[in-house]
Amino acid sequence: MQGGSSGIGYGLKYQARCISDVKADTDYTSFLTGTLSLKEENEVHLLRLSSGGSELICEGLFSHPNEIWDLASCPFDQRIFSTVFSTGESFGAAIWQIPELYGQLNSPQLERIASLDAHVGKVNCVLWWPSGRCDKLISMDEQNIFLWSLDSSKKSAEVLSKDSAGMLHSLSGGAWNPHDVNAVAATGESSVQFWDLRTMKKVNSIERAHVRGVDYNPKREHILVTAEDESGIHVWDLRKAKVPVQELPGHTHWTWAVKCNPEYDGLILSAGTDSAVNLWYASASSTDEKTSERPVESTRQRVNLLLNSYTDYEDSVYGLAWSSREPWVFASLSYDGRVVIESVKPFLPRI
Amino acid sequence: MATEAAPMDEKAKRMRDLLSSFYAPDPSISTSGSSISTSFDNINSTSFDADQYMDLMIKKSNLEVLLQRHVQMAAEIKNLDTDLQMLVYENYNKFISATDTIKRMKSNIFGMEGNMDQLLQKIMSVQSRSDGVNTSLFEKREHIEKLHRTRNLLRKVQFIYDLPARLHKCIKSEAYGDAVRFYTGAMPILKVYGDTSFQDCRRDSEEAIKIIIKNLQTKLFSDSESIQARAEAAVLLKQLDVPVDSLKAKLLEKLEQSLDGLQINPEEARKLAKQNDSSNDAESDDQRPAKIHEDAVRGFSEAMRAYREIFPDSEERLFKLARALTAMHFESMELYIRKRVSTEDFLGIFRIIWEDVVLMDEVLPEAALSDLSAEAAQVTLKQYVARMFSHLQQDISDTLLKFGINQKEAVEGEVLKVVLEASKKAVLQGTTDIFQDFHQLLDENTGIFIKMKELIIGWIQKGFQDFFRSLEAQFLVLSGKTSSSNDTEGGLIEGKSSDKIHAGLILVLAQLSVFIEQKVIPRVTEEIATSFSGGNSQAFENGPAFIPGELCRVFHAASEKLLQHYIDTRTQKVSVLLRKRFKTPNWVKHKEPREVHMFVDMFLHELEEVGKEVKQVLPQGTFRKHKRTDSNGSNTTTSSRSNTLHNDKMTRSNSQRARSQLFETHLAKLFKQKVEIFTKVEFTQESVVTTTVKLCLKSLQEYVRLQTFNRSGFQQIQLDIQFLKAPLKETVEDEAAIDFLLDEVIVAASERCLDVIPLEPPILDKLIQAKLAKSKEHNNNNTVSS
Repeated sequence: MQGGSSGIGYGLKYQARCISDVKADTDYTSFLTGTLSLKEENEVHLLRLSSGGSELICEGLFSHPNEIWDLASCPFDQRIFSTVFSTGESFGAAIWQIPELYGQLNSPQLERIASLDAHVGKVNCVLWWPSGRCDKLISMDEQNIFLWSLDSSKKSAEVLSKDSAGMLHSLSGGAWNPHDVNAVAATGESSVQFWDLRTMKKVNSIERAHVRGVDYNPKREHILVTAEDESGIHVWDLRKAKVPVQELPGHTHWTWAVKCNPEYDGLILSAGTDSAVNLWYASASSTDEKTSERPVESTRQRVNLLLNSYTDYEDSVYGLAWSSREPWVFASLSYDGRVVIESVKPFLPRI
Repeated sequence: MATEAAPMDEKAKRMRDLLSSFYAPDPSISTSGSSISTSFDNINSTSFDADQYMDLMIKKSNLEVLLQRHVQMAAEIKNLDTDLQMLVYENYNKFISATDTIKRMKSNIFGMEGNMDQLLQKIMSVQSRSDGVNTSLFEKREHIEKLHRTRNLLRKVQFIYDLPARLHKCIKSEAYGDAVRFYTGAMPILKVYGDTSFQDCRRDSEEAIKIIIKNLQTKLFSDSESIQARAEAAVLLKQLDVPVDSLKAKLLEKLEQSLDGLQINPEEARKLAKQNDSSNDAESDDQRPAKIHEDAVRGFSEAMRAYREIFPDSEERLFKLARALTAMHFESMELYIRKRVSTEDFLGIFRIIWEDVVLMDEVLPEAALSDLSAEAAQVTLKQYVARMFSHLQQDISDTLLKFGINQKEAVEGEVLKVVLEASKKAVLQGTTDIFQDFHQLLDENTGIFIKMKELIIGWIQKGFQDFFRSLEAQFLVLSGKTSSSNDTEGGLIEGKSSDKIHAGLILVLAQLSVFIEQKVIPRVTEEIATSFSGGNSQAFENGPAFIPGELCRVFHAASEKLLQHYIDTRTQKVSVLLRKRFKTPNWVKHKEPREVHMFVDMFLHELEEVGKEVKQVLPQGTFRKHKRTDSNGSNTTTSSRSNTLHNDKMTRSNSQRARSQLFETHLAKLFKQKVEIFTKVEFTQESVVTTTVKLCLKSLQEYVRLQTFNRSGFQQIQLDIQFLKAPLKETVEDEAAIDFLLDEVIVAASERCLDVIPLEPPILDKLIQAKLAKSKEHNNNNTVSS
């Protein structure tokens, strides 16, 4: 429908779920994405947006031994990234390094720096220290959360501490608080839980079922955004976590992922299984105004909140990433392996 | 006579002219009054020139005329001669008589002086005699005067001595006015001599006065006395230097106390109002509280009038009292309307209060009671209007919640339908009633209402606007879909009771919103336009208070939101079901499928519930499936046919060709017309069911995509989906989309399968038949047991 043709597309060979912004690459706007194919040779693609911003170039193509369920680029070294993979029967997580001079090699091999092999269950995600050079990592499986120390030169990683969320919670993903590096949020079956990494204990939780995605607002402390299967997107203030401060309708089907823009406060991107990516604007000021004349306010918000809906996808969209270098650019990845880069510049004046 | 008079006149005139020309040398004065023109032919003029006249005459006239003139002139001259002779004779006579008179006076005046002297002597002697008498009588007169003074003094003393008796007499005859006059008259004397000569007297009279004061006070206090009498008493007391202020204070206090008696208390108010209304037909009954109240207020106002006259300086206090009474009235009114009150009662009480106010206003026009009460009435009325709306809202939500919708009933019985109808009625009836009430309010003719009509209309319009807005908000609260960012209360509602809120209620709310949007708001708009239009001044500032377009939009949005919410809650339930289904088994180590998994039953059961709920509440869509009726009978054939179709496709794909299959599906997608899965939900049974099914199947697909299957796991999915196909197509209008989604699930499963080998069609068919038989048996058992 609207804005369909504006995106820059790139096709992966197989189905795929995850895409990550290469934060450490300061020269180019790059993204890493990995395929999810049970039976075929899986690949990791390093994509670069051409300087004109009109083309998406494949900078590197690396084979990956297993299907990739999660992929995260290291925030301080553009050649390092983590994956969570599955052999079909078991799950694993590893840190990889893209070889130097990969452009000149014929079939460059990824170098496995470390294996995060303390997990037994289904691994969900690997989180990097939110900013700056730090060797700390977090990995989660359905029941446990691990804090790792990575030594990239020695090519090893060791567990610093761990905690178990308990059988019932069955964690599914998480986010590291960029404002407080000791706090990590994890989504579970029936709640969003928060850990303090110093004590490695659960400190808080939001009772909310079926949360798929979670993201901290990098511009405003205490603000967390969650994406839920049926009930859309919620914005929370962690100081009063009983009730969400704002509610966005989300998607026609499940809302799968949600990402806050790293630069523009209140700009939220969500991806859903209704083959759409929605751009929202959840302004902080409007949440403050709410005390007075709520009905009028809320109707007004409902009208204005959705800035745009990108619907040029053939399948469910699972992967979503803002570029940190050009914060008005985001990459989305639908299940059929199509990467679409879009710019939200036309909507920025409306904020 | 007349003929003689004319020549006489002429003669006299001529003589006068002559005389005057003689005496007055200025000819202009003498001749100005006469009619004779002053031309040179005027012979009487002083400037008459005989020669010139002759010349002119000769020149102008002929001989005959001249001759005539001559004769005429000669006659005139003769006349004049005789006249002059007469004049001389007459005057001569007068001179002679005057000389005679003077001669006589001269002789008479002689001898007068001697007489005068005589007279003087006589008067002198009279004077000396009178002096003599005066001196001889002087002493006696002096004495008499002294006696007279003494007598006066004695009379006064007598009066003072008599004072006590007199006062007593006055007391007896209640002539207090006289008594006070006597006493004040005697006062100076008593003051001067009270301690000496008139001691007893003073004491006695003071005692008497005391009695009088007492009597006067009782008179002042007694309500039975006429105001005149009481006012007099007050004046007398004041004359007696009794401290009136304390009396006044006491009286006013009493008046204040009587206020309590006048208070309309809420319990009685209803009775009062009733009685007041029926007062026309039951005049005989004097004991009715309304009458009593009226009398009481009348008495109160009379008393106020009296006090006002008695104590002119106490107005402020009285104002305060009157205001207090008014304020009290309105306060109790406010209390009263806190409960539910019919407009009739409300108006009844209002009328009573207004009458009271009018009564008091007559007495104390300066207290500005009517302004005060107009203000208070405005506030009260506004509250009343607001309260009416809140009552209506309460009614509606009560109706909605009255039927404790629980799971079973909602599906089995017709509870949802009942609730929907009841709440529709509540809304319609409620608005009708409220309009009636407002009509009553507007028809009311009590003074203050007339002034406030515009305001009332404004309130009504604004009231409706607010009412619908808050109703919408309440619907959202009731549905558990409160806009999340509220106070903690809202959060509690959401957090705690969202599980308890039955999905059916949400559906009812959705449909009710549609009803309000399509029926109620237009009706209200119409009603307002016909009866309650009229620009109140605020309308120009903020635009009209009642904006039906906006409300329609609000309710339209609400209905869509609620419907979506209904579908969400329903799919959420299915989602939980599916989640459990896919989380529990280890799909990689799945055993061979033996039967259709039971989650299918649960899923279908949920859908059935949705179908039943929807049927009760929503209208049927216009679009109906043509195939529906004939496919009912031939259930098995349809399913088997689709089986074979599907199996053809499936047998072609096996593990070796999995990859090509992926391409195939992609290719197929490219060429297949993209099936719109997420269409807009309409308010029809079919649309809601279809949307629910679509969303559930999409969820199913997503769950499948998250798993990895072995061959048996895949086969299990294949079997389940195959089984679902027939019943789903039964219930859903958009078969193509369902087909597409079911295929998508199979495709997703095959993509996530390590070893794709589908079940053989015969086995598939057999298992499905077994399941069908089993469920049929189950149903039979159920019907038998029930």
